[in-house]
Amino acid sequence: MPAAWPDKDDHELLERIQDGNGQAFAALVERHTDRFYRLAYRYLQSKEAAEDVVQDAFLKLWENPALWQPQRNSKFTTWFYRVVVNLCLDLRKRKRPAVLEDETSIIDERQPADEMMIRAQEQDALEKAIGSLPERQRTALNLCFDLGLTNQEAAEIMGLRLKALQSLIMRAKTTLKERMKDYL
Amino acid sequence: MNRDEKLDHLLRSRRFESASADLAQRIIMKARTLPQAPNIPFWDSMRQLFAEFHLPKPGYVLASALMLGLVIGLSTPQDRSPLAEESSASVQSFLAADETLL
Repeated sequence: MPAAWPDKDDHELLERIQDGNGQAFAALVERHTDRFYRLAYRYLQSKEAAEDVVQDAFLKLWENPALWQPQRNSKFTTWFYRVVVNLCLDLRKRKRPAVLEDETSIIDERQPADEMMIRAQEQDALEKAIGSLPERQRTALNLCFDLGLTNQEAAEIMGLRLKALQSLIMRAKTTLKERMKDYL
Repeated sequence: MNRDEKLDHLLRSRRFESASADLAQRIIMKARTLPQAPNIPFWDSMRQLFAEFHLPKPGYVLASALMLGLVIGLSTPQDRSPLAEESSASVQSFLAADETLL
């Protein structure tokens, strides 16, 4: 189905969704599915789980469009990022991830190998290091580095002041630099 | 590239598994099977509630009130029991006593 109403902004689509317009819902879903999936994937590290969370979030919005209150939420994406993050955290609480391997074992096992192998190890180490960060630091990193949001947008989503968000990112990067020192 | 830049680069190029190509369509199809909760704004719901009440015309209200008063008045028996008379007399004597003090 081609994306309908490219000229309508999210706010206008949401008003139509509140009137039960399925086409407006389809347009909103097509417009934003990928970005919210990306966020969910970062939290859950599983394609299936991330897809389920994004589906749940959109279906909740469809079933109860009054959840979106333009007076209270300035921007749809800011509000919906929060919805998705909360669903991810709920899911993670219910299904505790398997205990991560000790990252030092991976570092120690590093052997001279081709570029691909080093890159894969680097990625593994990075994911483990990020996974061990406190929740808020990880969220800040995901929003700013992975989704490419500005610090201001990320602060809004997390309900923080800009300075607090910057401090979270700084602490996260300090920890990562320490844990990734063999790769940097 | 220094350590900070290398870390930023790593953070921006993390491993990622793309979503299924039909994820959006699946969500849209699923939504079609689900009913939407009615969204009635507060003032509309209030208006709807008051529309349920139909007040009668003032003439009818007045006539009904008079009739009801008449019926209640006629149906209430006059209290002429000795106890009531005694109570009335005690009240009178109390008031009279009060006046003598003044």
